[in-house]
Amino acid sequence: MLRVQNVAIAYGAEPILENIDLEVKAGEFASLIGPSGSGKTSILRAVTSLLRPQSGMIELDVPRNEVGFLFQDDALLPWRTARQNVALGLRIRNVAMEEAEARAEQWLSSLGLAGFGDRYPRQLSGGQRKRVAIAQVLALRPRLLLMDEPFASLDAIVRTRITQELLGWVERERLTVLLVTHDLEEAISASDVVYVLSQGPRATIRSRHEVKIARPRNVLETRRHPFFGSLLRRLWDELSGESPPVDYAL
Amino acid sequence: MKIRLNSPTFRRSAALVLLLVLWESFSQLGWLDPFYAPPPSRVAKVMVSLFGDGEIWPHLEATFSAAIIGLLAGLAVGIILGFGAALMPIVAELLEPVMIVLNAIPRVILAPLFVIWLGIDLASKVALALILVAVLIFFAVYSGIKEVDQRLVERVLTLGGGRRVLIREVYVPSVTAWVMGNLKVAVGFAFTGAVVGEFVASSRGLGYLLQFAQSTYNAALTIALIVLIMAFVLVLFALSERLERRLLRWRYT
Repeated sequence: MLRVQNVAIAYGAEPILENIDLEVKAGEFASLIGPSGSGKTSILRAVTSLLRPQSGMIELDVPRNEVGFLFQDDALLPWRTARQNVALGLRIRNVAMEEAEARAEQWLSSLGLAGFGDRYPRQLSGGQRKRVAIAQVLALRPRLLLMDEPFASLDAIVRTRITQELLGWVERERLTVLLVTHDLEEAISASDVVYVLSQGPRATIRSRHEVKIARPRNVLETRRHPFFGSLLRRLWDELSGESPPVDYAL
Repeated sequence: MKIRLNSPTFRRSAALVLLLVLWESFSQLGWLDPFYAPPPSRVAKVMVSLFGDGEIWPHLEATFSAAIIGLLAGLAVGIILGFGAALMPIVAELLEPVMIVLNAIPRVILAPLFVIWLGIDLASKVALALILVAVLIFFAVYSGIKEVDQRLVERVLTLGGGRRVLIREVYVPSVTAWVMGNLKVAVGFAFTGAVVGEFVASSRGLGYLLQFAQSTYNAALTIALIVLIMAFVLVLFALSERLERRLLRWRYT
């Protein structure tokens, strides 16, 4: 579904990523973890053409309009209501206004936001805004979903609940997902494959781990699976070795 | 209607009334020279006579026409040029230095030139109001687009939107917020342009009347006209605030 081959990314003269190779097969949930500032987000931006790689190749087996991107910030249009925000992508795809808004309303209902369609983003809580952003992306029925630490700003309970809802949806629809996160537990509990990025600059993929836990999964119960703990320790050790030591004397 | 004694509006109104009472009292007691500071009662009488004999209407019409036409034309020109400069680098390259210079100088100095080019009638006043408003709005629109939230731009792009969708869904609404934020200043500028234009050379308008009042040392008429202009500008401020609340209801809901 998605192949990133030998990709290098630089900001101006400063190299960020080198020799990035990763593959996400159809129906697979892959996560990309790594130290802060290693360039995880840049890989997603390159896949969505928001950023042009310096070299290498990015192959997609789906048309661009079947790729959904869930950002770290909800980034909803503040002047549009929740319903209009969800309908936006459909309107861009020339779906008639009435139909787009009706479908948007269904999506809001299915994500627990029935009756919130007329509210503006500033009238919604962080969790509700995140659900609107999810509805906006899922309403387009993407086959490949790219997520950039989408729930980082939410508190633990809301985060777990939304992750579970989204995971359920992904499993039912057999979506292909590439998730960027710094949360190791989130990565393991949701993914089939976890890629680990080394510390930048010139970060590269240093390892790939398969998550051998059966689906469907429950985010909380998965954490009690014996494999979960052993993979968590391995990832922890890898990333601890990557992170620069903190000089407390400063 | 309930009057709250501790509200700022009440305190401001009370202070204004107190000032007028003191001013009137000092004039009646002979402590203020009515030649320089005529009492409020005399200013009110002048105001009533201006409206009573109908003398003021042609002047109001002239000033209002110049200010409103200049305001609308200035908004249109500022918005078009601002969009052009923000979206087309070549336009920005040509326009930005001109606008920076026009913004740096007191633009009312262009009034005599407009009188030479366009005559003493409406056109020269409209031109001055237009240039005052257009430069202000140009920068509001130009900065509005330049400083638009890039996350919103990227969101629309990843949803499959192109340039047209970006303009409709992101740039226009964000620029509307900037323009509405500057609308009150623009209203003030439009009246400044109209009145100063009339002050320089005209045969009608509040600026013309002001010039007449000044040349005849008629302080009561001068104050009456200043109060009149302030009152009309305040009414326009209130209208622009209502328009802002309507257009930016997402911000006030």
